[in-house]
Amino acid sequence: MANRFKLPNLGIGLGLRTKHYSTILEQKPAVDWFEILSENYLRTKGRPLDFLDQIADHYPVVMHGVSLSIGSSDPLDREYLSELRALRDRTKARWVSDHLCWTGVSGKNTHDLLPMPYTEEALLHVVDRVRAVQDFLGAPLALENPSSYAEFAGDSMREWEFLGRLAELADCALLLDVNNVYVSSKNHGFDPLSYLNALPIDRVVQFHVAGHTDHGTHIIDSHIGPVIDSVWQLLAAAHQRSSGVPVLLEWDAEIPSFEETHAEALRAREFIGAAA
Amino acid sequence: MNREATADALGLHERASATPERAEPARKIALGSAPGWTEGKLGLRAQQEWFAAIISTAQDKPAPVDERSAARLIRASATLSSVERIDIYRRGYHARLIECLVDDYPVLEHALGEEAFEALCRRYIARHPSRAPSLNYFGRHMADFCRAEPQPEAGFLADLAALEWAIVLSIHAPTESAIGFEDLSRVPSERWPGARFRVNPSLEILHLGYPANAYLQAYRHGQPIAVPAARPTSVAVYRTGRSVWRLELEPTLVTLVESLANGATLEVGLTEVQASLSHEPEQEVAKKISHCFQHSVSSGLFSAILL
Repeated sequence: MANRFKLPNLGIGLGLRTKHYSTILEQKPAVDWFEILSENYLRTKGRPLDFLDQIADHYPVVMHGVSLSIGSSDPLDREYLSELRALRDRTKARWVSDHLCWTGVSGKNTHDLLPMPYTEEALLHVVDRVRAVQDFLGAPLALENPSSYAEFAGDSMREWEFLGRLAELADCALLLDVNNVYVSSKNHGFDPLSYLNALPIDRVVQFHVAGHTDHGTHIIDSHIGPVIDSVWQLLAAAHQRSSGVPVLLEWDAEIPSFEETHAEALRAREFIGAAA
Repeated sequence: MNREATADALGLHERASATPERAEPARKIALGSAPGWTEGKLGLRAQQEWFAAIISTAQDKPAPVDERSAARLIRASATLSSVERIDIYRRGYHARLIECLVDDYPVLEHALGEEAFEALCRRYIARHPSRAPSLNYFGRHMADFCRAEPQPEAGFLADLAALEWAIVLSIHAPTESAIGFEDLSRVPSERWPGARFRVNPSLEILHLGYPANAYLQAYRHGQPIAVPAARPTSVAVYRTGRSVWRLELEPTLVTLVESLANGATLEVGLTEVQASLSHEPEQEVAKKISHCFQHSVSSGLFSAILL
């Protein structure tokens, strides 16, 4: 139990993807844990849940969402939160995470992780909402630093300051995506190590790693291809500050075989030592 | 009348947290002018409403922003202008939703061709923006949307979309196992006339004006296909376990299954089938009724016998 929330270090996990369902269900490969994309199992009563039930029976799972829209100026969607809680109870998910972002406004959902303005107004707004969500779920929420391609002109603080203050004020957990730190550092021109060192590491309950696409003028968080060495090095630096945090690989474009994906995830061992 | 499995592997693809990228014509965002209200102080609400309005603007419409006003919203980077940075999100927004529709409607995309399908998707996204946390039902308006399109093949495309959407719905419908002949054999003979049947909860019977299922089947088999001429067909789409099935139904089977699905007893259902065969020779009628009922059971259309 390395973090202040006493959430377990699950080891090295994989983002659960439909392409791998057959292999997972038929071969039951030795994987420490899976992260599921919450919204794929909401508003369905059928086959997606059939698969998920079998996988959750055999492996620890964690829920990762993309529609909480914690930063939106729209009201929180209580129906969505109820569905999230029901799915958490159904899968016995160890924790629930989403992103520091907003996904829509005026009732519309863009399904994209849109950047937050980093202002005092936004900070207080999100703090209240995180508290409300945690009260509703009866558990800490883990918020992930997003990749971003734009910064608001009116920002009064940097992302790591916003995220660190948010975590302290709302008493929430953090999901630190070191690939996102890398992507945003290139897009906005900051030192990624300064970002890592500024976060309260005892609130970090999970690391993400992934591949990305470098367009020269900017980097897109495409979750394609293997993790580059610079991102692995960031993982090593973040992990060194912690007392053991589970690592998860996300791979979402041109997804290779299960074996290749899992082998890429297990490369994390080279950078975090025996801790996993 | 053989049923065909839909070879859609294991289900729909996920909606991930990654930023999707889609090859897009080189055309950049079309600039318009910022709404007057953006001249005031930009609080959180105003920033979000403006940003969302810009990125959700269709590719061929002027976005409510220009170079000067964009800099009031988003700062430029060392390599990209404010507008270029916003445009990354505009592209991502449309790419994700187009991906979702491609996932739900692969055969419609084939029928239209990639370029025309993408253009259709962009019009669809503008007309039916998502309002739900999940994208599982984002594509639900596509059949009606196609039918309203001003193009000569709109009827066929609408039927094809209806068929593909029924496949999606069957994936999300509750899973129940099908009854078989061994279940029927346990029903005492005196209970048969009053027996009712619960149809598979995923079952949808489509009445189409075009043979969309034959088109879809040919596509799946990699056969050359042309847009077919109008010909009314009825198709059952349903799922047993992991497999989604498509079954073209003869009129007698439509009559029986719809009757039973509406709560009729077997006696009533079979009487309706018999009435529909009144023009046939008597010995053929009995044979057809028997075949019809057996076929409905062997196809897995029922999930329980209610006595």
